[in-house]
Amino acid sequence: MMDKRLGWVFFISPVFLILTWWLIARSGQYSADVLVPPKDVLLTLAELYQSGELAMHLKASFYRLGAGFGLGAAGGILFGILMATSKQVEAFFLPLFQALRQVPTITLIPILILLLGVDEAFKVIIVFKAAFLTVGLAAYEATKGVPKNYFEVAKVYDLPKKTIYTRIVFPAIIPQLFTGLRIAFSRSWTILVAAELLASDSGVGQMMQFGRDTFRMDIVMVGVLITGVVGFSIDRMMKLLEIRMIPWQSVRAG
Amino acid sequence: MDLLVSILKRFSWLRGWVPPVVILIAWDFMARQGASHAYAFATFVQIATGLQELLGSGELQTNAYASILRALLGLLIGASIGFATGSLMAFSRIVNVIVSPLYHAIRQVPLMGLVPIFALWYGNGDTSKLILVSLSAFYPVVLATYEAMQQVDGKYREVGLVLKLSQWNVFRKIVLPAAMPQIFTGFSFALAFAWLSTIGSEILFTAGAGLGNLMMNAQDASRMDILIIVTVLIGVLGYSMNVLIRKLGNHLFNWRTL
Repeated sequence: MMDKRLGWVFFISPVFLILTWWLIARSGQYSADVLVPPKDVLLTLAELYQSGELAMHLKASFYRLGAGFGLGAAGGILFGILMATSKQVEAFFLPLFQALRQVPTITLIPILILLLGVDEAFKVIIVFKAAFLTVGLAAYEATKGVPKNYFEVAKVYDLPKKTIYTRIVFPAIIPQLFTGLRIAFSRSWTILVAAELLASDSGVGQMMQFGRDTFRMDIVMVGVLITGVVGFSIDRMMKLLEIRMIPWQSVRAG
Repeated sequence: MDLLVSILKRFSWLRGWVPPVVILIAWDFMARQGASHAYAFATFVQIATGLQELLGSGELQTNAYASILRALLGLLIGASIGFATGSLMAFSRIVNVIVSPLYHAIRQVPLMGLVPIFALWYGNGDTSKLILVSLSAFYPVVLATYEAMQQVDGKYREVGLVLKLSQWNVFRKIVLPAAMPQIFTGFSFALAFAWLSTIGSEILFTAGAGLGNLMMNAQDASRMDILIIVTVLIGVLGYSMNVLIRKLGNHLFNWRTL
């Protein structure tokens, strides 16, 4: 979607938007509680940063995201490959897997709150679920797509099982796996923000919820900014990692 | 031994039912273990009576209707605006240069992260929910429309030039039909997102009817039976809508391999 030749031109409209925002806020047509001037958002950001509040919330969110997404993605990769390579595992678990996929993760929030309460476990598990199912399915479909003759060649060379997985299956599924990982990450981040909005005592979502409850629009805007920047940065990092891990595709991906 | 193997083989198609049934039996077992568990788990009997109660009072139907209506209305609004935006971006470099950076910047914010803003601006009711659902349907349609129209083979456009068709006719008679299957794929993603964000918005905006609101009320009242019924219904409805739209796609575009 981005035209490389145009470079700086793409900053015109965002700058223009912020300028319009600033002008409308200045005109005083809307109260500053409803439409916060850009300057106030930055001031609130600085304030939250200096008081250490922002760091505290980010740390709480990152811990949940790291634990839930990390475990979910790792488990999803293993289970997806297992389901694709073992007929028995596939026959037993694929139907359940497909059925669970039909239920949006956010729907499970009320059930999990009743089962686990509103503590850490609930947030980590809901992120885990979002990551596990998405990555698991991506790994399953990618592994199913590995050409049969790759395995035949491995058989001819009498390669040990471990080598087949580490040297043939894994490299073959990496591109599709990364697509799955990035989708899973964006889902995990969204669901974590939703869970923190609903029930939490810390985290970026809770910070926004506090802003909502106390009519502090500036805090809400800082939260929106932070969640956007975090989502964007981690997606970029995964993209860079992908390019590093799949150099043979880097021309296309870059 | 051979007999056992052949019996097992005969029923091997049932294997997929084993994990769900095991989970259900374990669930029912947990629900019967004393008062502290009965609070969180619900037995089959409780779920059945809960379903009767919900159907009898009409609560399930009313709220399901409200949710479906919201999802479809949001889909209609979001997809229409998304289609118009995507088409304009594909046809005009200026529009593309203006809209595309904003689109990519705003899309970085997780959808549910926008809930507090809409809540403060538009309240906790239907307006906020509809905006959120429309936005969720808007994103995929913009991208699909723009990319599909960009990828239309240049040769087709040249035919338009040779025939001296107007810009409008090139769009309507050449680009649109060629791009339609891919746009439709984006539309079917939009439906899935619209359904998800309908439930999400109903959970996060507290006022009004909808399956999400029904769930939040059930959570407050610790009614696990209702939560399970509604969750299953949400899954079934989402799945049915997916199947319907896929069938519609196959029906509309069976002249080309999707």
